[in-house]
Amino acid sequence: MSLLSVRGISKRFGGLTAVDDVSFEVFEGTIKALIGPNGAGKSTLFNLLTGFERPDAGSVSFGGTALGGKRPHEVVRVGLARTFQNTQLFEEMTGAENVLVGMHPTMRTGFMAGALRLPSTRAEERDARERVGHLLRLVGADQYADTPAADVPHGVRRLLEIARALATSPRLLLLDEPAAGLNNAETRTLATCLRRIRDDGITILVVEHDMGLVMDVSEEIVVLDRGRKIAEGPPLLIQKDAAVIEAYLGEEAVYA
Amino acid sequence: MARFLTPRILGRALPVVACGVLFLVPMLTDDRYLFKVLTFVGLNVIVIAGLALLFGFAGQISLGHAAFVGIGAYTCGYLTAARGVPWIVAVIAGTVLAGVGGFLLAIPSLRLKGHYLAMATLGFNEIMSVLFVELRPVTGGNDGLRGIPFASIGAWKIDTPAGNYLLVWGVAVVVLLLTANIIRTRPGRAMRALHGSELGALASGVDTGRLKTEVFALSAGIAGLAGALYASSVGFISPSTFSLEFSVLLIAMVVIGGAGSLAGPVAACALLTLLPYADALIPGLSKELIALIQDWEADISGFVMILVLLFAPGGLAALGRRLGGTSARGAGGVQ
Ligand SMILES: Nc1ncnc2c1ncn2[C@@H]1O[C@H](COP(=O)(O)OP(=O)(O)OP(=O)(O)O)[C@@H](O)[C@H]1O
Ligand SMILES: [Mg+2]
Repeated sequence: MSLLSVRGISKRFGGLTAVDDVSFEVFEGTIKALIGPNGAGKSTLFNLLTGFERPDAGSVSFGGTALGGKRPHEVVRVGLARTFQNTQLFEEMTGAENVLVGMHPTMRTGFMAGALRLPSTRAEERDARERVGHLLRLVGADQYADTPAADVPHGVRRLLEIARALATSPRLLLLDEPAAGLNNAETRTLATCLRRIRDDGITILVVEHDMGLVMDVSEEIVVLDRGRKIAEGPPLLIQKDAAVIEAYLGEEAVYA
Repeated sequence: MARFLTPRILGRALPVVACGVLFLVPMLTDDRYLFKVLTFVGLNVIVIAGLALLFGFAGQISLGHAAFVGIGAYTCGYLTAARGVPWIVAVIAGTVLAGVGGFLLAIPSLRLKGHYLAMATLGFNEIMSVLFVELRPVTGGNDGLRGIPFASIGAWKIDTPAGNYLLVWGVAVVVLLLTANIIRTRPGRAMRALHGSELGALASGVDTGRLKTEVFALSAGIAGLAGALYASSVGFISPSTFSLEFSVLLIAMVVIGGAGSLAGPVAACALLTLLPYADALIPGLSKELIALIQDWEADISGFVMILVLLFAPGGLAALGRRLGGTSARGAGGVQ
């Protein structure tokens, strides 16, 4: 069943059409990859899905309900959580505290209950910290639970963001280049971790430049180029797709 | 023996010891001047607890907090002196009115950050300063509001300097405890998250717009509470007390104390509040030096604030942590 369906979505920045009439579906319980050369509009598409940007046209529906007009924190509560290409951690807070913030939508303690540290508050804190410990172990960042995020190694920062996103109890996880800055071993660990998350019933849409990882974990791939969807299908077909090869060759020609 | 004095234990024991000493003072002395000075410290500590939440933890600057203290003070002063409203009702009214003022100021300020928020709140302080002068029937204009009665609950009048001192510090300790609790639970984490990365906070499901208004209202309400207690402590209030200069001093206290800390700003608040009264505390200081300090009080605190921003961004809190040998910037943040 389709969990996310994107229909004809577009976004213009001045004269530039960053996302141009893009449609695709993400099926429940799968890992889908979103790839494309630099500037193809992948991050912009993520921003459109999560309420950080407003589309100029098109619609998004999630689990059957329209997401149009929802603000970022409301999108999270519906069950869509994301990470950022440029990690947005809370640098002064520890790894565990960063993930605890992700528990915000599922916790209840307000100013009054927090100020009085009611028994319900203490119980909630205890449960939340337990779940955070579990999530940190799941992504393999548990040794950084008490380290301020500012002092956490680059690769682990992305893992902390994934754990924080998972803490919101999402149905769909949007990851923007989770393997950027990871070495080969770390990337393999990430692949295992992504499959484990999927096996826990969480659907994943991942933007990634690391083709090894993409081919390894994803069941389906959408390819964007200059804002437009140029291909969609299983990894083996995408690898052979003429339009995709040309888009990437074009990119290499630019860099050459 | 010494190994039991870990920073953690010290961090827990120090506030308790400080409280003990504070509440012992009335048994050791009956120096009216000393009570007056220490009462001022207590009142400022209350304001600072709220401003540390807003500025130090949530990262939202306010250069208008003196105005919220003023709203609380004039509300409580007017209601008790001119209307004969029971003290406790007047204090609640002052607190709530300042909180509502903070809420109303926060709404249009939501889109503003950094310098722009500073300018907007600064403007608010200036507008309120004018109103405190011009709303003569309520505020008494430049002559101020006289004859504000002491605190009383029913027939019980708290009319001695020592009694008032205990009242103010009692409230201050409660406010500090509640604030410290907020900091280490869900709303406090959301505030620190907002400070760290608003995008990250939004992506974690924090309604940052709502959070900003809530913290602003709470912080302003706490300032109003201090103002209300101030009015009944001194019996006379006038507009110049609630000027922009006081707002700047309050911000300086939080900066010097350290963002993301409660104890640091409270310590800085005590130091800066005591500065102009140095003669009462340190015997033998020359008259000239005291006069110099009193004349240049605002400049001294401003200058120290700039030095801290340039050379010791963590303020007193970071200094304390370094002395205590812990580097855990994120450790609860309450220390
Ligand atoms: N807020 C913005 N204002 C103006 N232009 C923007 C904005 N955000 C993105 N763009 C432009 O839109 C295009 C798509 O950018 P986007 O970040 O979505 O690409 P991307 O596919 O994520 O690229 P990369 O792989 O480099 O991350 C780029 O040309 C970019 O410069
Ligand atoms: Mg991108």
